[in-house]
Amino acid sequence: MEDGQIMEMRAVLEAPAVRARAGDPDAALVAAALQTPQAFLALYDRYFDRILGYVRLRLRDDSVCEDVTSTVFTTALAQLRRFRGDGAFAGWLFQIARNAVRDVQRRPATVPLPDDVASLQPGSLEPDLEERLLAWERAAELQALIRQLPAKQQHLLALRYGAGLSFDEIAAIVGAAPGTVRVRVHRILEQLRRRYPNDD
Amino acid sequence: MTTDQLERDLRTLAEPHADDERVHRAIRTTLGEQLHARPRRARRRRLAFGSAAVATAGLAAAIIAVVGTGESGGPASANAAILAHVATAISPPANMIVHVKETGVLGDGTQVGVEWWQATSQPYAVRLIKGPEGQAHEAAADGTTSYEYDAATNTVYEHPNPRQPTLIDPVENARAALTHGTAQVAGTVTIDGRSLYRVELPRGVVGYFDRSDYRPAYIDNPQGDGSIVRTEVVTYEELAPTTDNEKLLSITAQHPGARVKTSPAPNKP
Repeated sequence: MEDGQIMEMRAVLEAPAVRARAGDPDAALVAAALQTPQAFLALYDRYFDRILGYVRLRLRDDSVCEDVTSTVFTTALAQLRRFRGDGAFAGWLFQIARNAVRDVQRRPATVPLPDDVASLQPGSLEPDLEERLLAWERAAELQALIRQLPAKQQHLLALRYGAGLSFDEIAAIVGAAPGTVRVRVHRILEQLRRRYPNDD
Repeated sequence: MTTDQLERDLRTLAEPHADDERVHRAIRTTLGEQLHARPRRARRRRLAFGSAAVATAGLAAAIIAVVGTGESGGPASANAAILAHVATAISPPANMIVHVKETGVLGDGTQVGVEWWQATSQPYAVRLIKGPEGQAHEAAADGTTSYEYDAATNTVYEHPNPRQPTLIDPVENARAALTHGTAQVAGTVTIDGRSLYRVELPRGVVGYFDRSDYRPAYIDNPQGDGSIVRTEVVTYEELAPTTDNEKLLSITAQHPGARVKTSPAPNKP
């Protein structure tokens, strides 16, 4: 068993019932982290992939995504005592991520090409690099379209396709019924699909 | 383009990278450092700015600037960790009493100072002394009553005031500065023999935070005339809410021999 799993189990077992919110799957870990800050690492391990995915769906630059992810967790750790437990921990954490992304998006966008693409000279395209360039362009196009969406819609898309959350999980975070979330996401997809005509 | 294809492309945007494990470890290390650097809660020396409503104007400017937010810039991950430490170091825990004393010298040579004690839980009872020695103004509020002390006549004036004192929470805004990328670590400096992080804050304000425990030491505040006023954070204490310490929040407890009049203090010329 990995250290993180052991820590998570111990944290849950040892955690007092502090601010545990019924129905929040993270309540025990949050309570443990409030009691023993080291236990926050278990929450970090649990959410790292999802936060990084969320950020990546909304921001293009890898190093910025990493910085923002770092900021989300260092902020959450610093602020954990501010988490009141009257909503899901995931909702609170993704709200931090949402704010952090929004602040980056307010800055002038600079989207660097991948190193190997940026260093290409005209006429030097090798087949695999050409494929990668096309994929990069396609991703950049899609991301540009996402950024044109209202922030709420970007948030929903990122929760669904970046963080990989189920409709039930998203519903708990945004405070809406799962069916409503499903419909909203479907509408957003339809909007995107109309503007994103790649048919290859 | 079908919806399935679009969904696949969306997932591709966020798909894991080969070096995510490295990123995971790096952030975990940063969090570990942040956890190790967390100071003890009791009697930790940290900065918490209290009731701005009663703070002196010059220092209030510094306070607002320190806790304020802006719109530009962004910390790199290493700097983000330092800034996170700073945010933690200026987080007043609940159910304590913070005691803060700051001094500074205005451009015209006027000494300014403010000292206050404030409960960090509702109703955020506060007692504050501002102004130079001999001319200090002392006031307090506890959510039901406001108090002022007139040293010249050794009189406490009290009158009902249900307005709850405000606890200025630097964390909210410091967090905003962190996440908004409006705070930047700009190297280290030594002032009066102390090794400090120099942190650039919104509106040209610069904070200096002790490298050993991230507590604030000085704040540089740009003035309208281009000068800089440096404020020193002389004291920050977090005090347990014992009976004795709770007396620090009370003007009548501090001046037990004073007359108490139930009326607002008379205006001074």
